[in-house]
Amino acid sequence: MNYTFQWGVALQHLPGLLEGAKLTFIIGFLTFWGASLLGLVMAALKTYGGRIARRIVGAYVIFFTNTPALVQIWFLYFGLPDVGIVWDKFTCMLIGLTLNSGAYLTEIIRAGFISVRRNEIEAAETLGFSRIQQVWYVIVPHIAKTIYPALANFFIVILVMGTSIGSVIGVQELTSQAKDLATVDYRYLEVFTIAAAIYVVLTFVASITLALVGRWAFRVKAKIF
Amino acid sequence: MRGDLSHHLEIKGACASYGRIQVLKGVDLTLGKGEVVALIGPSGSGKSTVLRMVMGLTLSTAGEIRLDGEAVNYRNPASLRRLRDRIAVVFQQYNLFQNMDVMRNVTIAPLKIKRRPRDQVVADAKRVLAKVGLADKLAAYPDELSGGQQQRVAIARALCLNPEILLLDEVTSALDPELVNEVLDTIRGLAAEGMTMLIVSHEMAFVREVATRVILMDDGQMVEAGTPQDIFDKPQTQRARDFVGKILRH
Ligand SMILES: Nc1ncnc2c1ncn2[C@@H]1O[C@H](COP(=O)(O)OP(=O)(O)OP(=O)(O)O)[C@@H](O)[C@H]1O
Ligand SMILES: [Mg+2]
Repeated sequence: MNYTFQWGVALQHLPGLLEGAKLTFIIGFLTFWGASLLGLVMAALKTYGGRIARRIVGAYVIFFTNTPALVQIWFLYFGLPDVGIVWDKFTCMLIGLTLNSGAYLTEIIRAGFISVRRNEIEAAETLGFSRIQQVWYVIVPHIAKTIYPALANFFIVILVMGTSIGSVIGVQELTSQAKDLATVDYRYLEVFTIAAAIYVVLTFVASITLALVGRWAFRVKAKIF
Repeated sequence: MRGDLSHHLEIKGACASYGRIQVLKGVDLTLGKGEVVALIGPSGSGKSTVLRMVMGLTLSTAGEIRLDGEAVNYRNPASLRRLRDRIAVVFQQYNLFQNMDVMRNVTIAPLKIKRRPRDQVVADAKRVLAKVGLADKLAAYPDELSGGQQQRVAIARALCLNPEILLLDEVTSALDPELVNEVLDTIRGLAAEGMTMLIVSHEMAFVREVATRVILMDDGQMVEAGTPQDIFDKPQTQRARDFVGKILRH
């Protein structure tokens, strides 16, 4: 081992890496909310929908959880132009990742729907709650609380693993930036170490924030470490 | 003499089904002001269904239910709301809201549904919770309470609606024997205050003590009705003799 670290050179790339980190966060954030909304609709269809709706949702979940997100994004980016649909790489990234994550979130959210106890709904009914009040005061808080840990966990997965797929089609998120900046003066080890550190900080801050929100809003006794 | 001539709650010839299976086959029952009527009978005889039907959770297929002489229309939301405004129920399984603490469980309906002023609701809730012996558990969540405590919260929640009639469905059946008494004491207290109650119970000694009238059900029908002495000491029908004999033997 006679590698001489040259942090000075690598640190010059810090602004570029932070720029990438910002995009990583934006993609993670947008994907998470888009996928949650998609998952919510799909889970509702799968729980309360008719037979055909349930079949369609089932096929969606199976298809997207059994093929790699990378392939799905490549399909959008390289495949669709062949049939005349051209989206920029950012859009492909976002749509691909949202569809993929939405499939996983459908199952997570559905577990929340199923867990609502008939008992509590009937109690609310006899106490005089209207249908909307039942949903607002009983069903939604229950689902939110039940699935919060899984949801928070999945956000981290998207943030780290999901977004880094962008590097393959050249979306300039953190991994992509690190790869490009490292080649400028071949300080791979230093640049990727810094990139890894930024990922750790990003997930650390996100985990703590989510844990605190969970504790405050849902009494989730989350382990931070 | 307890009991009012004007019947508070009246069930006349009520039938109910789950799917194609008829579980209530013409039930008649009256509950006067201040009365404590006990509904007893073997498992599956339809006792819970009677209470569910009164609360509008299970719709009757025939017959009618009257409140102060006026027929309740369960398909009319306003009529149903008026009924639920006056009758409260506590079920077999303490169905508290798991995501709310004790105070919120008890106050949410008066605050959000009845829109009563906050200070008054909170003061009421504290008084009622103290009465059921839970003054020190206001901030606890259901999963931090014992079964007996949860059941008492459920009773407090029902009482905070200031109901005129309270329906209790085997509120002690899910409890360990040592917890049963704390809940029964609460009900004894209510009976002493003159609360009108329809209770389903397997605690025969308790029924004998608090009930003004006892109704024995079997297979979706009323088999016999009378004072606790009538039913337990000199049952008239063979079915009643069998049932009483069985429950008194253990
Ligand atoms: N949701 C349901 N769907 C179908 N059948 C039901 C349902 N609930 C109850 N039943 C049936 O209706 C009949 C009456 O049930 P109910 O719960 O009223 O009896 P019960 O007298 O309260 O019995 P227990 O003492 O065991 O509580 C039973 O035969 C039961 O199997
Ligand atoms: Mg029952």
